[in-house]
Amino acid sequence: MNVLTLQNVTKSYNYNEPPAVNNLSFSCQSGEVVALIGGSGSGKTTLLRIIAGLEAPDCGEVILNNNILNSSTVFVAPEKRNCGLVFQEYALFPNKTVRQNIIFGKGATDDPSWVNELIDITGITGLEQRFPHELSGGQQQRVALVRALATRPLLLLLDEPLSHLDPELKESVRTELLKLFSKSKTTVVFVSHDIEDATAMADRMVVIHKGEAEQIGTSDEIYRNPINKNVARLFGKTNFIPIELIPNAPYSFTEKESNEKVVPVRPHQLQVINDSTNNLPKFTGKVKSVLNHGAYKEVEFKTTQFSLTLHLPKNLSVQADSKFTIGYNPEL
Amino acid sequence: MAEVILHLTIPAESWRHIRDTVLGQYIKGSLILVFGTATLSILLGVSSAWLVACCKFPGRKFFEWALILPLAIPTYIAAYSYFDLLDKLNPLLIWIRLNISTEVMILISDVIVYPMTIIVLASVLYPYVYLVARAAFTQQSNQFIEAARTLGHGPHSTFWRTALPLARPAIVGGVSLVIMETLNDYGAVKHFNIPTFTTGIFRTWLSIGDLPGALRLAACLMVLILFLLVLEKWLRFGAKFHNNSQSDQSFKPYELNQKKSFLAIICCLFPLVIGFILPLSRLVYWASQTVENVFDSTFIILTFNSIAIAAAASFITVMLAVFLTFTTRYFGSRTINATNRLAILGYAVPGAVIAIGILLLAKQVNQATGWIMTGSLSMLVLAYIVRFLAVAWQPIDSGMERHCEQINNASRSLGVTAIQSLTNINIPLLRNALVTAGLFVFVDTMKELPLTLILRPFNFETLSTKTFDLAQQAQIPESSVPALCIILVSLLPLIWLNLQIRNTEK
Repeated sequence: MNVLTLQNVTKSYNYNEPPAVNNLSFSCQSGEVVALIGGSGSGKTTLLRIIAGLEAPDCGEVILNNNILNSSTVFVAPEKRNCGLVFQEYALFPNKTVRQNIIFGKGATDDPSWVNELIDITGITGLEQRFPHELSGGQQQRVALVRALATRPLLLLLDEPLSHLDPELKESVRTELLKLFSKSKTTVVFVSHDIEDATAMADRMVVIHKGEAEQIGTSDEIYRNPINKNVARLFGKTNFIPIELIPNAPYSFTEKESNEKVVPVRPHQLQVINDSTNNLPKFTGKVKSVLNHGAYKEVEFKTTQFSLTLHLPKNLSVQADSKFTIGYNPEL
Repeated sequence: MAEVILHLTIPAESWRHIRDTVLGQYIKGSLILVFGTATLSILLGVSSAWLVACCKFPGRKFFEWALILPLAIPTYIAAYSYFDLLDKLNPLLIWIRLNISTEVMILISDVIVYPMTIIVLASVLYPYVYLVARAAFTQQSNQFIEAARTLGHGPHSTFWRTALPLARPAIVGGVSLVIMETLNDYGAVKHFNIPTFTTGIFRTWLSIGDLPGALRLAACLMVLILFLLVLEKWLRFGAKFHNNSQSDQSFKPYELNQKKSFLAIICCLFPLVIGFILPLSRLVYWASQTVENVFDSTFIILTFNSIAIAAAASFITVMLAVFLTFTTRYFGSRTINATNRLAILGYAVPGAVIAIGILLLAKQVNQATGWIMTGSLSMLVLAYIVRFLAVAWQPIDSGMERHCEQINNASRSLGVTAIQSLTNINIPLLRNALVTAGLFVFVDTMKELPLTLILRPFNFETLSTKTFDLAQQAQIPESSVPALCIILVSLLPLIWLNLQIRNTEK
């Protein structure tokens, strides 16, 4: 059952500029975790604010649990939507203690055992009497999350939930968040610019670029079958090789601008070939530069037609100007 | 203050009499006025600030600056403009005397002056609360309001449970200014014949000639002020709520429907009408009737006196404030900081108390050097400096904190001297803050009455003393001409300040 449905939502701030959100549609199933992913200025936060009711769309519909929240004639105020929102900066009230922040929401005091359970799950027990400035970034984030969940919202919205955490803390918070989402059985939509966060946490992703939903799918689908160069690059450096050179490639797409069909090839899918009998598609060229990343070496490789980026094992001896042959292995 | 405290040891023969007869009345009168004026100022200032800062309705931009205008009207002039308000109640009082009893009539006529005075004082003092509350609401992170809304709180609940508690420290600061001004007031309370500490000090000292008794009253007043300062400190506990929010989302005002817009306009119009439009229009009307009787060559002299002494006081005060804030921040000395804090407490001390202290000091100088300082302009300017140093200190200190801290460190590391840093870097950077500070002091000096009344040299009249003298001689319509001059001179700087505040808020 769809909890959230967006139909052709459009939002412009300035009519001389392209819309921040352009004719965007997607839906969320009950209990699903959906990531809105895109670069800065792509319109993902605007979309989140439209769902929360903090922005009114110019047109389109927002439907939550079969209730129309936004349409040409309807606008339901944010306080009546039953959507919890965790802000990027957490927005904890600085004049209230952790406990007072948590029970601030309408209906948050109805079920004290639920609040206590949330406090317990997130590990903020003992911090209830502290003020927000007395907490670390990770603790503040947990309090903001508990505050939003304490009202038992139909939909939980998170704006860049992990952007302020250091890499080490991110790992553990990701796991905690997933545990909390599954425990509360809440449908979640979160905004992120970090593909790693989205891949780790989301059941599905909506890739947004210039206000439009470019692709919707699971992280695996989007990783394997990106719809265009922009989507492919979300997952890191990608080589785009004309289909004529790899006619048997398992997947390819046509670029809108050039109308050229290309195969997205990840750097680690290219490997050095010493055996000439190998059946993999081959490219011969020479090394232009080598960058050591510790776990692997990033090599810029130049053939007669184009440049490629390769990730080679760290123990492989590669030097600039050395010549060799590489092969494309789609199974990697 | 030290002079006042030191002279408390002088035996005061009439103190027992004062204590047993009028002290209770002074305490009661002062407390009723303080409580009433503060409460009404909060109601008028906070409600209009919330509407202007957070709601969208026709005329909002106009009210944004217009609501500051009552600041240009000194309390005593507001009181004179409503001088006949009590007369309007006479038919009612006569009816009560004839139909109920004389005692009830006396009781009502004694009591009715309090709400009248409170309304008059609050109508011109509420902008102190309005200004800080508006700034607090405007600068509040929009995320807190949005967070409250996504947590199920509507506009009313958001105001009471989020916006107001967050603005509390700033509002308390504004209310404390209202309280200090109320305790300092002499003209309005004298006009409505309300016994307060200030009228008590004047009466005991200047009418009865009992300086030791007046000193003791001043000491009692200072105890009350000290208590209020401690209370303010306590209420502003956590004044800098540690807001880590980096959000630059601008606040989206609530769109009010037609009915609510109408109510909002009424709500903003009410303080503006009673605090500015009504007094000003009455003064303009009276002035048009009496200008020929009042306006002569002596009037030009007293206008010149007012402007010259206000300009001198504001220039010296600003220079001193620059020197004090710079030395504190540049050298980072705790001692200098502590003495600065003590120096700016002068704003909390009522004019009558400062006047006594300055006169006692002048007497000491006279005895030690033979120079007659009593009744000199230099003593009057010194008193203005003592009273208004805090007014200049605040904008300069915050400007220095914002603009100069790192730059001064950089200039020190480049081997530049403190004086060079001050003249070449700090003063040019603080140009706006200096003008703001100067204008604040200028306006306050133009309006100041108790200090000027006590410390002015013989035959030295200013616009404020002339207004007071004419009002005392029951020539209130005539007093409107100098009163209007004070208001007009005070209005121009207010418009400048308003523009500055709007730029800062943007």
